[in-house]
Amino acid sequence: MSGKLRTAFSLLAMAVMVAACSSSGATAAPSGSSLKIGVVTDVGTITDKNFNQYSYEGAKAAGAALGATVNYVVPADASDYTKDIQGFVDQQYNIIVTVGFNLGDATIAAAKANPKIWFIAVDVAPCVDATGAPDDTFACKGDASTLLPQLIGIQFEEDQAGYLAGIVAAAVSKTGVIGQIGGINNNPAVVRYMQGFQLGAQSYKSSIQVKTAWFSTSDLTKAYGDPTWGQTFGAQFISQQGVDVLFPVAGGTGNAALDAACTAGIYAIGVDVDEYQSYPTADKCIVTSAEKHLSSAVQATITAIAGGTAKGGVSKFNAANDGIGYSPFHNTGITIPADVQGKLDAAVAAMKAGTLPTCPATCGTWSGQ
Amino acid sequence: MNGIPQALDALPILGVIFQLLGYTLANLSYMSQTTVAVAVPITLAALCGVMCERSGVVNIGLEGIMLTAAFVGWIVGAAAVGLLGEGTPLPFFGVTLPLMIGLAAAIVAGMVVSLLHAWLAISLRIDQIISGTIINIGAAGITGYVYSLIASQSPVGAGQFAEYQVPKGVADLPLVGWLINAVLSQGPIGLTTIVIVIILQIMLFRSRWGLRTRASGEHPRAAETVGIDVIRLRYRNVVLSGALAALGGAWLTMEHTNKFDANMTAGRGFIGLAAMIVGRWTPLGAFGAALLFASATALSTSLQISPPTGDLGQLMGHVPGEFWEALPYIITIVILAGLIGRSIAPAADGQPYERESAT
Repeated sequence: MSGKLRTAFSLLAMAVMVAACSSSGATAAPSGSSLKIGVVTDVGTITDKNFNQYSYEGAKAAGAALGATVNYVVPADASDYTKDIQGFVDQQYNIIVTVGFNLGDATIAAAKANPKIWFIAVDVAPCVDATGAPDDTFACKGDASTLLPQLIGIQFEEDQAGYLAGIVAAAVSKTGVIGQIGGINNNPAVVRYMQGFQLGAQSYKSSIQVKTAWFSTSDLTKAYGDPTWGQTFGAQFISQQGVDVLFPVAGGTGNAALDAACTAGIYAIGVDVDEYQSYPTADKCIVTSAEKHLSSAVQATITAIAGGTAKGGVSKFNAANDGIGYSPFHNTGITIPADVQGKLDAAVAAMKAGTLPTCPATCGTWSGQ
Repeated sequence: MNGIPQALDALPILGVIFQLLGYTLANLSYMSQTTVAVAVPITLAALCGVMCERSGVVNIGLEGIMLTAAFVGWIVGAAAVGLLGEGTPLPFFGVTLPLMIGLAAAIVAGMVVSLLHAWLAISLRIDQIISGTIINIGAAGITGYVYSLIASQSPVGAGQFAEYQVPKGVADLPLVGWLINAVLSQGPIGLTTIVIVIILQIMLFRSRWGLRTRASGEHPRAAETVGIDVIRLRYRNVVLSGALAALGGAWLTMEHTNKFDANMTAGRGFIGLAAMIVGRWTPLGAFGAALLFASATALSTSLQISPPTGDLGQLMGHVPGEFWEALPYIITIVILAGLIGRSIAPAADGQPYERESAT
C-alpha cells in the first residue's frame, strides 16, 4: 500500500478519536456573567427525553433568567463521574448540577472537597458518615445539611407519582392483573415509584394483582440502556404473567418495554416524563405517565441559590409544590372510566394535605411482594 | 446395603430436579420467544466470525460492524421516510420502501466497515486484533456522536418489519405447536438467519468455495501453490461476512425494535465471538452455542419473572438473583472450558498472508 493511503488512514483514525472524544462535548452559552452553572449528566445522551435532558433544560432555563453560563458534560461511563465533576470544579464553576442517583457518591465527595461550590444532586438524598464522606453502608450517621451546607439533594416523592399512575392503571385494566418492571431493585427512586404504583392500584380496586419484576439484578446497561433487552424481557413478562397494563420504570430499557406492551396489545404507563409526547412510537398504548417535574425542580433550586434563599440538605419535590404529577390523557382511543378523574383529584388533594400514605414503611427498599 | 440411605439422601435433590424440569416444561412456551430473540443477533455475528476466521482473518470487530449497520440502517430508513413518505406496507412482513432502503444501507455499511478491516488486516497486515478494536471503538464513538447530534429531533426510524403470523391451528398443535410458533413468529431477518446457517454449513464443507476458504485458513501457502488467490479470497470472505453481522445490526434497529440507542449492541458481537468458538468455527455449532446461551438467558429470565413455588422455590430463594443472571455466561464458560473438548482455531487464523515475491 502506498504511503498516501497510510497517511489517509491515520487521519481517519484521528478523526475517529476526535469524534469519540467530542461525544462528551459541551455547548457554550453566551458569556458575560460571572455565574457559571455546570451540569454533569448520567451516562447516555443529553437528548434522552429523560433525566439528562430535562435536568439540563431546567438549568438552561434558570441560567437564561440569571444571565449565567450553562455547560454540560455527558460522562462516557460510570468511572468518569468524578473526573467530569472535577472538570467543572477546575474551571471555577459556581453551581454544579449532577443528574441521577448513580452520581450521588461522586457528588458528595466533590461537595466535601469544595465547600465553596454549590452542588445540586438530582434524585439523591445525600447519605454521609460523621465526617461528611459518602456512606455506602447507608447508615447515614452524619447530618448532610450541616456537614455539607452547599449540597442540595433534589428528591422527588416518586411514590406519589406512582400512586396516581396506579389508580389509572387499575381503572383501565380489564383482567385485574397489572404489571410493573423496574431497572434494578437497589435504586430507591425506582422502588418508590413501584411501591406507590402498587398502593395506588390497590386503592382503586383492592382485588387487583400487581406483578413485579426487574430487568436486571446487577447490570446497569441491561437495566437502563438496552432497548433490545427491554423488548425481549417485556414481551416474556407480559405473556408469562398475563398482565394487561404495564408500568416499566427503567430508562431506555423500560421505554422499549412500552413498545412490547403495544405489540402485545395491552396498555402501558410511562414514567418520569410525559412519554406520550416524548416517546411517540408507543403513543397508541400509553394511557398516562407518572411524572417528575425535573426541569422545574432544577430551575427552582438554582434560582433559590442565586437568590440566596437555598439551604443545604434534601429539597423535596412532591404534589404539594407541584414537583410530581400524572400526564394528561392524550390518547382519546383509550376509554378512562368516569370515576377516575374524581379519584385522582381526591388523591392529589389528600397528598397536598399530607393525609394520604403513598409508600409502605420500607419506602425505597424493595422487600419482595 | 450402604447404597440405600445414600440414595434416600439423594431423593430431595432428585425431587428438586424434577420440579425444575416441570417448571421448565410449564414455562417453555414463554421462554421460547426470548430464546429466539436473544439467539438471532448472536448467531448472525457468530456467522460473520466463522466466515472470516475460516479464511484466516480474525474479526473481533463484530460488535462495531453490527453497531454501524444498526445505526446506518436506522438513520437511512428515517431519512427515506422523510423523503419518500412511509409508503404502503406490502402484505408480507410489513415491508415498506423506506424499510428496504434502510436494510440495504445497513448491509452496505456493514460491508464497508468489513472492507476497512480487510484492508487493515490483509493488505496492511497490521495486527488483526488491533484492527478489530479500532472498528469497535470507532463505531461506538462515531455512531454515539452522530446520534447525539440528531437525537434532539427525535427521529423515528422507518418502522420495523412485522412478524410472520403463524396460523392459529398450527400454533395450537399439541406438543410441537409452541415450538413452531416460536421459530416461525419472526420477521424476515430472523427467519433468514436459520436459512443462512444451513446454507453456510453446507457451503463451507461441501462446496469449492468452502474448501478454498478452509484451505486458506489452515495453510495459505499450500492453497496459493494450487492456484488459490488467498488475498482475494480473504478479502471477499471478510467483506461478504460483513453483510451477515450487518443483518444482525439491522435486526436490532429494524426488526426487533424500531429505535437506535448509543451502544445498543451491548456486547452481542462479543457473545457472538464466543458462540463461534464454542461452536468450533462451524455455522451449525455457532448456532447451537447461541441457542444454548439464549435458552439459559430465557430460563434465568423466567425464574426472575415468575419464580417457582414449593421446595424448588425455597431453594432458589436462597440463591441471589445475580447468580441466575450470570448463568448464561457461566454455562458458556463451563462449556468453553471443558465440555466441548479442545476448540481448535483454523491454523492460519490471525496470521497475515504475504506472497513470496517473484524473483
